[in-house]
Amino acid sequence: MNKNLAKFKTGLLADRKMTQLMAITGITFVFFSLVSRDIFFSSANFTSMAYQIPEIAILSIAVMLSMLTGGIDLSIVSISNAAALVAVWIMTSHMDDSGNAPLNWIVIACIAGIIVGLLAGAVNAILVASLNVTPILATLATMTLFNGIAIGLTDGVSISGLPEEFVRVGNGTFFGIPTPFVLMVGIGLAVGLLINRTTLGLKIFLVGTNRKAAQYSVMGDRKVIAWVYVISGLLSSFAGLIIASRTSSASPDFGSSYILLAIVIVVLGGINPNGGFGTVTGVILATTVLQMIASGFNALRFSQFFYLVSQGGVLIFVMILNVVLERRKVQRSIIRNLKS
Amino acid sequence: MNYRKLLLRNETALIVAIAVLSISIGLKSPEFYTISTLFDLFRSSFVQLIFALGVLVVIVSGGIDVSFPVVGIFSGYTAVVLMQRFEWDTNSLLIPIALSIGIGIFLGAINAIAIAGFGIPTLIATLGTSGIFRGILLTLIGSSFISNIPAGLDKFATADLIRLETEQGTLARLHVLIIPVAIITILVSLILNRTMFGRSIYALGGGVEATRRLGISVKRTQAKIYMFAGGLSGLAGILYVSLQRKANPNDLTGSELDIIAAVVLGGASIMGGYGTVFGTVLGVLLISLIKGNLILLGVSGSWQRAAVGALLLIGIIVQAVNESKRAKSRRVATNDEAGQ
Repeated sequence: MNKNLAKFKTGLLADRKMTQLMAITGITFVFFSLVSRDIFFSSANFTSMAYQIPEIAILSIAVMLSMLTGGIDLSIVSISNAAALVAVWIMTSHMDDSGNAPLNWIVIACIAGIIVGLLAGAVNAILVASLNVTPILATLATMTLFNGIAIGLTDGVSISGLPEEFVRVGNGTFFGIPTPFVLMVGIGLAVGLLINRTTLGLKIFLVGTNRKAAQYSVMGDRKVIAWVYVISGLLSSFAGLIIASRTSSASPDFGSSYILLAIVIVVLGGINPNGGFGTVTGVILATTVLQMIASGFNALRFSQFFYLVSQGGVLIFVMILNVVLERRKVQRSIIRNLKS
Repeated sequence: MNYRKLLLRNETALIVAIAVLSISIGLKSPEFYTISTLFDLFRSSFVQLIFALGVLVVIVSGGIDVSFPVVGIFSGYTAVVLMQRFEWDTNSLLIPIALSIGIGIFLGAINAIAIAGFGIPTLIATLGTSGIFRGILLTLIGSSFISNIPAGLDKFATADLIRLETEQGTLARLHVLIIPVAIITILVSLILNRTMFGRSIYALGGGVEATRRLGISVKRTQAKIYMFAGGLSGLAGILYVSLQRKANPNDLTGSELDIIAAVVLGGASIMGGYGTVFGTVLGVLLISLIKGNLILLGVSGSWQRAAVGALLLIGIIVQAVNESKRAKSRRVATNDEAGQ
């Protein structure tokens, strides 16, 4: 028992940011449950939260991966919309009058969407890894380009009315748990295993901690970065498919505010924007906190724009807190060294 | 003068691009070659150019600002609201402009506190503040569209410097704003090249630590940069409101990419330390030309965004390839030296 506790302490609780985040999650939960007992603290609210969290959590995990290497991927939302549009276009063109499509075409459509995500990620990878373009700029350009192509092809109109089998995935339950939530847990576990248990994961952390050292150790730092952007594209396409399935539509303009939200979540989740540190658990907890704030504000009938203020505010506040705590830590260690 | 060097300059490439584009548009539809097309091009570039100058200053210093459209519309809209609330002289043009610039500088100062004061990465800081500013604008100041803007601003929208009757009977109008915009452009160029402040911006972009060792206060310079950019955004915002003859708080969002694209196409290096005002002017003209005349080329208007994305992508690829060439030649030179 004690051994297990020690393991738990060195594992999850060893990280100060993580304990902080758990405390924040708990406080937010208790606060909104007390303030709005009948609306926030209801099973209907928790179910709807479980449907809304996955898509943004998966997008945030994609941003986290690029941030672990010290980069950033701004094109995630564009990629997810493009992937969803391609999948939806294939589905609707093989749909009969009653709104059903053959199951194999739905599968093909989903695979096509995933391929779009991989290709878009590969474009980012080529730009960032082999052409050495700054990640912000490269993904800013591809974000505009992918979004532009999506708008151009669809004339900016959204496609809705998807086959029932596909919509059921995003709105159904799996052993009583909303399917998107199950998918999110699966993807989160996979990414967690990838970054913590594989050599690629170790290399990702090394590149993010010290790119120069990674270069000198001849471990193929460019290849690592390329993989990160490809995986980021893949995750974005998953998110796109889940969004399409949940809302039964796809649009080139969907979720333009998600990019700010994803970055807020990643920073709140304790990922170092300069690279080298981050956990999947942190990202999922941070998503939950922000979703609770959103639902709580909704329950209290605050304006949706107020949520925008709080997103930006949380981002700046967490960054300032990290900077101040970091400074204090450095100062303390200097004082300690001076004393000894 | 070194002609080869002149030919390889970014500005030359941009002039060639603009010329090729104009010729191909003209070949496709001869109505392009009228004086009113030129005047319209100028009119659509004024606001963009002033925003772009602010962005240029930030990018040269090695940062990136995504909050400027929000700062612009916040300042412009708030200035109009204040004018109406306090019933100031509605015929005045200077009061709203001064108000808007003042608000812009104030918002820039908030960016400066986050960036210079706490050392938050510029992209994350400005993403956060743009969320806060937009939320505050829409919740506290107003979310409704104002169509009866103060008379002075309204009249200014139709103040023309030159009015020409063309052969087709349409009126070609050159807005009087071309003079102040030209003066501001030259002023920014002078500030960047001839003042201590301007040179320290370039120094900061070249290397933060080196700048510090030169005895330049990094924080003070950064603070000035973001306030300067904020002031320019404020000016651009009120001019936008005036030229549109309405104040809509939801406008301008999403325009950040076009303007960053223009500045980057103009040759400013996103890593900082390089960028010219002339290049930025050309970049803005190129983007305006494409956005305004895509239809004349027989391309549907919904491809606008894709065109901007593609252009930006080409621009950064050229930059990246040049940079790697330069790095290689530098390496060869060092090797030669070592060989001797």
